[in-house]
Amino acid sequence: MTETREHEIIRSFVDLSNELVDDYDVVEMLSQLTSHCASLLDISSAGLLLADGRGVLHLMASSSERTHHLELFQIQRDEGPCLDCYREQQPIRVADLEAEQARWPQFCEAARVVGFKSVHALPMRLKGNVLGTLGLFGEQTGSLEDGDLALAQALVHVASVAIVNERAANDRETINAQLQHALTSRIAVEQAKGVLAHAADLDMSSAFTVLRRYARDHGRKLSEVAAAVAGRELAHEALIQHARSVALLP
Amino acid sequence: MALSLDVMRSELNAAMVGSAPGTERADALCVTCVGLFDVDGAAVSLVLGGASSGTFGSSSESSRRMDEYQFTFGEGPCLDAVTSGTSVLAPDLDAPQEQRWPVLRGALLEDGIRGVFAVPIMITSVCVGALDLFRSRPGPLDGVALAGALLAAELASMPLLDLMNEARDLADREDAPVCSTDHLEDPPVEADRVEVYQATGMLISALGVDADEALVRLRAHAMATDQTASQVARSIIDRRLMLDRDDRGTTGDGGRSRR
Repeated sequence: MTETREHEIIRSFVDLSNELVDDYDVVEMLSQLTSHCASLLDISSAGLLLADGRGVLHLMASSSERTHHLELFQIQRDEGPCLDCYREQQPIRVADLEAEQARWPQFCEAARVVGFKSVHALPMRLKGNVLGTLGLFGEQTGSLEDGDLALAQALVHVASVAIVNERAANDRETINAQLQHALTSRIAVEQAKGVLAHAADLDMSSAFTVLRRYARDHGRKLSEVAAAVAGRELAHEALIQHARSVALLP
Repeated sequence: MALSLDVMRSELNAAMVGSAPGTERADALCVTCVGLFDVDGAAVSLVLGGASSGTFGSSSESSRRMDEYQFTFGEGPCLDAVTSGTSVLAPDLDAPQEQRWPVLRGALLEDGIRGVFAVPIMITSVCVGALDLFRSRPGPLDGVALAGALLAAELASMPLLDLMNEARDLADREDAPVCSTDHLEDPPVEADRVEVYQATGMLISALGVDADEALVRLRAHAMATDQTASQVARSIIDRRLMLDRDDRGTTGDGGRSRR
């Protein structure tokens, strides 16, 4: 293992565990999880799906904003390796998606369009409950190394502890409430991205960076700032102005 | 008898499809809830703030009355559910450890109600009200009933969207958005997409409206042009389409530069 990679791995864990201390933001944390996975592993893109109280999977975070990627991640509410992983509560490794056309016709077609040839789905487990799945997508056929999968699974476990932040929580009701909170927070973040994208003529990725930077520099939670922007209580000009002042935008 | 979620969904959908938009639809949803979840009453309350709060639909007059207590007394599981955005469940109002809502508790117990369960109703990220279930015997809602109640709360957002359309005076216009029954099958699911939320945000900025109105307009445009909400959202995000204040879509040249 190169020194750089070791540092990267350590940093991923440190980042995630920092989120567990004090006032963290679940949307921020899960976004980071997918970014870390995308850069640490030999994959193209990562998407995290979280279940609501009825066991329906929703896209919670993704390392990519690209249309076709989002499409692919969201198809998995109805069909695909992540859904199967969630139901069976076991990892699913698909070295060659072409071989699975009969199993997941819609998903495989969408994957073909994007150019993904392999996928690994890992369950996000907490105390016997499965909260959701992490999907890792690659542009080449073949399995990920066992070490890489173990790394991804470890990152996912840290994240799952953070989502359900009440140590004593082991009843479905509390867990569901926490999951719902995460999913609702995510909605506000997507809306806030849209507000900024329109107001400053940005793409969604840049809008997210502006949002996150404002939250960090002002010591506020990402979800809270997002809700304020989407709810029109915080003017988008304030965020754009700040982005300019730190040379994030021209 | 444990009913599957699919059966519950079909029954709830059937009830709503068979009724007129708005209050009638909300009432029909509530009546169906009573049968499905083994409760004695159900109501949909709207909590939009100020004068726009109250009981919107109910399974019976007595359920409506009980639901309205919360607004009279200013306390209750429904209001708490709306504030917190999470379900508030009170399986036994008469239990010694149940200390919440003293005034409301007294009134409900006198009316013979022992259990109250409130599930928040969301339109995108905003909680606009709650589905309230009342039961005369103590005890928790079982897992399947609770899952069904969450489903019913999602579906309850439809009649609330109907109401918002009316309130915005769009009902008189020729191309007024009406929540046609064709789209009732999976409306919350259909709109539950990342790109729909992003496009809603863009409309919030472009039109200077709130999130729920932005969503109504997006879905209205989708229905009027026979597209899915996701397709319209994608066009808005790609700058191929922008809705103006009169709900007419204008197709842009997509040529604005983007950083």
